[in-house]
Amino acid sequence: MVAAAGPDGQSVKIPGPTPTILLAAGLLAYPLVFSGPFYLDIGVTFLLAAISASAWNIVGGYAGQVSVGHAMFFGLGAYAPLLCYTLFGWAPIAGIPFGIAFSIALAVAIGIPTFRLTGHYFSMATIAVAELIRIYFGTWDLVGAAIGLQGPARARDWWDLTFRSEVPYYYIFLAVLAILLRVTFMIEQRRFGYYLRAIKAGERAARSLGVPVQQTKIRALTLSAAFTSLAGSLYSVKTGFVDPESGFGILVSVQMVIIAALGGAGRLYGPLVGALILIPLQTTTNTWFGGGGTGLTFILYGGIIVLIARYEPGGVFELWDRAAPRRWRRKHAA
Amino acid sequence: MLLEAQAVSKAFGSFFAVRQADLCVDEGEVVGLIGPNGAGKSTFFNCLAGDTMPTSGKIVFAGQDVTSAPPETHARLGIGRTFQVPATFDEMTVLDNVMVGAYLRHSHHGDARVSALQTIELTGLKAQTNMPARSLGTPGRKRLEIARVLATSPRLMLLDESLAGLTPMELKEAIRLVQKIHEMGVTIVIVEHVMEVIMTLTRRVLAFNQGHVIASGAPEEVVRNEAVIEAYLGRGRHKHRSRST
Repeated sequence: MVAAAGPDGQSVKIPGPTPTILLAAGLLAYPLVFSGPFYLDIGVTFLLAAISASAWNIVGGYAGQVSVGHAMFFGLGAYAPLLCYTLFGWAPIAGIPFGIAFSIALAVAIGIPTFRLTGHYFSMATIAVAELIRIYFGTWDLVGAAIGLQGPARARDWWDLTFRSEVPYYYIFLAVLAILLRVTFMIEQRRFGYYLRAIKAGERAARSLGVPVQQTKIRALTLSAAFTSLAGSLYSVKTGFVDPESGFGILVSVQMVIIAALGGAGRLYGPLVGALILIPLQTTTNTWFGGGGTGLTFILYGGIIVLIARYEPGGVFELWDRAAPRRWRRKHAA
Repeated sequence: MLLEAQAVSKAFGSFFAVRQADLCVDEGEVVGLIGPNGAGKSTFFNCLAGDTMPTSGKIVFAGQDVTSAPPETHARLGIGRTFQVPATFDEMTVLDNVMVGAYLRHSHHGDARVSALQTIELTGLKAQTNMPARSLGTPGRKRLEIARVLATSPRLMLLDESLAGLTPMELKEAIRLVQKIHEMGVTIVIVEHVMEVIMTLTRRVLAFNQGHVIASGAPEEVVRNEAVIEAYLGRGRHKHRSRST
C-alpha cells in the first residue's frame, strides 16, 4: 500500500498515511457521536466482522486460498473462554490463549492434507471440516451439546470483562482490529507477503522461483486461524453465550468471505470497507423486516455473491482503482 | 560438469514423451534443444526443472542428485527456468514480480528491492517498473520472466521458447539480452524453434524427435543431419520443398 501519491502530491491510489489517520479518527470518535445503544451495537458488530474478515484475508485474500470453513477457528475461539469459565470458573479471557493454541494446531492438521487441493476442492474440504466440527460439538455434552455454553451473568470482577455498556467492547475490538491491520500491513511489506501474492497468482511459477509454497500456505493459515480464533473469543466474551450454530455455523464462514470479497480480497482495507457496507445493510434489513431473520441474511448474502461474482470480482477497491486514478496512470504509463 | 541427465525417460501412461535422453552441460555453455512440435523437448525440460518427475533416469546438478527434488529445491540450488507460455504474476507490478525472484537470495526487503531494480534495468524493463505485468505484451512478459529468473541468481538458466513470437527487432534485442546473461557467467539451455537464435547463441545442439535424441553436435552440423531434416520435413522432402517454393 505504497503512499503512491502522484508527483503532484494528490493521493489518488487510496493509502498513504492520510486516509489511515482519517479512518482511525472516525472509528475512535464513532461512539462519542453515535452514543445510542442501537448504533453502538452496529459499531461493535461491524468491528467484529472486520476483524474476522481481515483475519480470513491473510490466507483467503492474499494467498488466494478461499477457505469457506473459517468458522472452525472462530468457533474454537468462541468456545474456549466459556468452557474455561464453565469447567474451572476462570475469567473467560483466560481461555483465549487455549482457543488460539487449538486453532493453530487445527490449522496445521487441516493445512497439510487440504493444501494439496486447489481451487474449489480446497474450499469444499474446509466447509466439510467446519461442518463436521459443528455437528460434533452439537452432540458433545462437555461443551453443552446443542444448547451451548454461557459466560458469567454478572461481572465478578473486572477481569470477567462483562460490561453493561457497549463502549468498552467497542474500544477493545478497535484495538484488536488496529493490531491485526498493522500485522497485515507488515506482511505486505515483507517476503512473506510477496510469496503469498505469488502463490495466488500462479503456484507453478512461484515454485520455479524457489517459493516454498506448502510451507508458506500453512504459515498463512496458522496466522489467519490465530486471529480468527481471537475474533471468536471476543464474540463469546462479549455476548456471554455460544452454541454450535453461532460458533461453527456456515454463515459465520460465509460472512467472512463475503465481507472480504465485497471490499476487496487481498487488500489491506478491503475487509474493513466490506464490513462498513455489509453490516449496516444487514442490520437495516433485519430491522425493517422484523426479527433477526436468518433467512433474510442468507438472501442478502446470496444477492451480494451474485453481484460480486458477476460484476466486480475484485470488490469495491478495484472499482475505485479503475474509476479514480486515470490521470495518475496516464502519467506513469509512459 | 554442471548438469548431467542420464537416460531420462518420462511416460504418460504407456506413451513415452521422453525416452532415454542424455544431456551433459558444462559450466559456461549455451546448449540448444531443437525438434518438431511434440518431440518431447518441453517434457524433458520440465524434468530438468523439477516440474515433472522422470519415470526413470537420473539428473545430477552440481554434484547433487535432483531427480526427484521439487522445483523449489532446483531454484535454491541455482536452476532457473522460464515457461513456454509466460507465467508472470499478472496482477502484480513488474517490480513485485522480480522481487519474488530476488527474495530467494535476499531475505531483507531493501536488499531484494535493490537487486530487483538492478535486474530490471539490465533486462530493459525499467520504463515498466511500476506497471502491472498484465499490461505488458507477450514480448514484455517473456522478458519479465527472464528478469524474474535472473533475480534468483541462477547458475543454470533453462529458457523454454523465450524468444518465440518476437518481431525481428525484438528478437535482436532478446538475443543480445541472452548473450549478456551468458557473459555474466550463467550457463544456458535453450529450447527454440527460431533457428536464428540457435545459430547465433549456441555452440552445441541436441535435436529431439518422438522422445529420442536423434542428433547432437555443432548447430551447423545438426541442421544438415539427415535424420533431423527428415524429422522436420518428413521423407521425400525434396518434393515437398520444391512444391512449397
